[in-house]
Amino acid sequence: MGLAQNIIFGLVTGSYIAIAAIGFTLIYGIVNMINFAYGEYLTIGAFVGVVTAGMLPMPLPIAVFVAMVASGAVSLVLARLFFTPINETGPVPMLLTSIGLGLVLRNGIRLTAGRSGRYFDTEVATFRMENLPELSVGSVNLLGDLFITTQQLLVIGSAVVVFLGLHTLLTRTDVGIAMRAMGDDENLARVRGIDTQMIRDSVWVLAGVLAGLAGVLIGVQTSVSAGTGFNHILQILSAAILGGAGSPYGAIAGSYVIGLMLALSVAFLPAGMTGISSAIAFLVLVVVLLVKPSGIAGQEVREA
Amino acid sequence: MSVADRLPKSDSERALLFGGICIVLGALLTLTPLRTTLPSGLYVFFEVGILFVIYGILVLGLNLQYGHTGLVNFGHVVFFAVGAYTVAMLSAQDTFAGIGLGFPWPLTLVVGVVAAALLGAIVGATSLRLRDDFLAIATLATAEIFHTLFINFRGIFGGNVGILGVPQPVKEFAGDADTTLLATLLLIGGFAALTFTVVTRLTDAPYGRVLRAIRADELVTRSVGKATFTYKMQSFVYGAALAGLAGGLFALYNGAVAPGYFTIQVTVTVWIGMLLGGAANNRAVLAGLAIIMGLRLLSRFALGVAPVSADAFASIRLVVVGMILIIVIRYRPAGIWGNAKELGVDS
Repeated sequence: MGLAQNIIFGLVTGSYIAIAAIGFTLIYGIVNMINFAYGEYLTIGAFVGVVTAGMLPMPLPIAVFVAMVASGAVSLVLARLFFTPINETGPVPMLLTSIGLGLVLRNGIRLTAGRSGRYFDTEVATFRMENLPELSVGSVNLLGDLFITTQQLLVIGSAVVVFLGLHTLLTRTDVGIAMRAMGDDENLARVRGIDTQMIRDSVWVLAGVLAGLAGVLIGVQTSVSAGTGFNHILQILSAAILGGAGSPYGAIAGSYVIGLMLALSVAFLPAGMTGISSAIAFLVLVVVLLVKPSGIAGQEVREA
Repeated sequence: MSVADRLPKSDSERALLFGGICIVLGALLTLTPLRTTLPSGLYVFFEVGILFVIYGILVLGLNLQYGHTGLVNFGHVVFFAVGAYTVAMLSAQDTFAGIGLGFPWPLTLVVGVVAAALLGAIVGATSLRLRDDFLAIATLATAEIFHTLFINFRGIFGGNVGILGVPQPVKEFAGDADTTLLATLLLIGGFAALTFTVVTRLTDAPYGRVLRAIRADELVTRSVGKATFTYKMQSFVYGAALAGLAGGLFALYNGAVAPGYFTIQVTVTVWIGMLLGGAANNRAVLAGLAIIMGLRLLSRFALGVAPVSADAFASIRLVVVGMILIIVIRYRPAGIWGNAKELGVDS
């Protein structure tokens, strides 16, 4: 497998990380918290999508839509229940609460879905074979022996659509502009008459919707288990911090850097060492925090 | 003077006496032909108890870092793991996979503590200037990096199997299983009590007041001429060294180390114990940890009677643990025995 093929893998990985990282970084920038339970929102989206497509069964676009709505709703409800009440206590209690919530959600899902997600594995199979015949077999020959599967195209295409939609939202709509204003200075935004609670809620919904989409895209490529989101949270976090926590455009850039590093490390690491490629995202994270803690395009995170 | 007057008054002195007695009793059981028999129904108490005293050393170190100094270390398990792996790699003989050099264990325990302290110094020197929640993420990521290294560098760390054949000094000397269990609990419990003495003396001293001043307001503390970064580094390194000691003792008790013993679950357990009891209060954090470990005990018993699988039970326990964390932060942010006023939280 050539280098170019790895770059394609990297772009695919970068794409779904980016979709999730945008949501994550919006929460950081506007609600001012690191939401460690965010990975579980991906898992919830993935399961809802897989169940909708496989058990009902529904066509993929409807399953994606249902998953996004479900994750968005879950994100808003959880925020109202757990995060909004302690909003004033500062970043550390919020982070710890999200870690607790992540434990609850992850293990709650594990209880209902089983440890290996086996129950849903067959559903994933039906999901692919019956509803997506073209996705399970299709691949596009790009150049010589370079291939991209239709599933991979779906992921990259979804990401492009999300990026364009996000850009439009943040630059052309009142809600998006209010979000940016809140990210810059919440008090000033409130003085200017922005309904900050409403904007917060919109951010939670948007972040949940994006997590749902990212979850389904990950699920379509592999299978879904209770650990799906948790396995990706540190990559999402690394991408968001690399890009500069709070900056959605930075998060996109950071995600592709992480995605490509993961994919290329597989190409360059000796066989049997490929397992450590997952540590590379964390290494990037630590190095970025040390060298330029504000990331590529972000706010200052050092104290004083 | 009656005997009662001679008894120590302060917590740290009582812990010193208690720890000393525990170690003497443990040593007696280990080194003499003295033998004991435990009711087999109580084994589970001893196993969880040993884990409790090991985690007790961890929580005291973490409390020094977070409770007293305000450093949000969410990768505490990495120092525990480094201590354990150092001891295991240096002392193991006939290990199945990975390195086993077969050095005498007392020496390796010292090296394990030093190695953990050294890693603490490296992590601290690079990350302690970060904002609280970013420090948490940096330390968490460090822990995950090491976890991945332990799993993947099979030739060095033994991969998923870990390192077997670590000497178990208590077991070797004490002979039978029952005596070993009791002696181990006494010896490590003694170490935990001595740790309590040392940490409490440190935090009761003017030194501890500086640490708490840094937690309350670093800028003000610096403005009155304290080298706050040096204090933060020391606190972080001491905490890491204690975690290394706990790790080394764990390796020598368990006889093996593997990545499965050093997951984020350990970090979460000690954090919840600390927050539940009340950060900054050395006695309270141990009590909080005891409650969380009690839950573990309870779940072991419930497993015997409840009609669910062990897997499901593990999940239920973690759901409960997560809920406790959320509820404590929401309704008792200073913990059960913590001083809300001092910690600067509204409860």
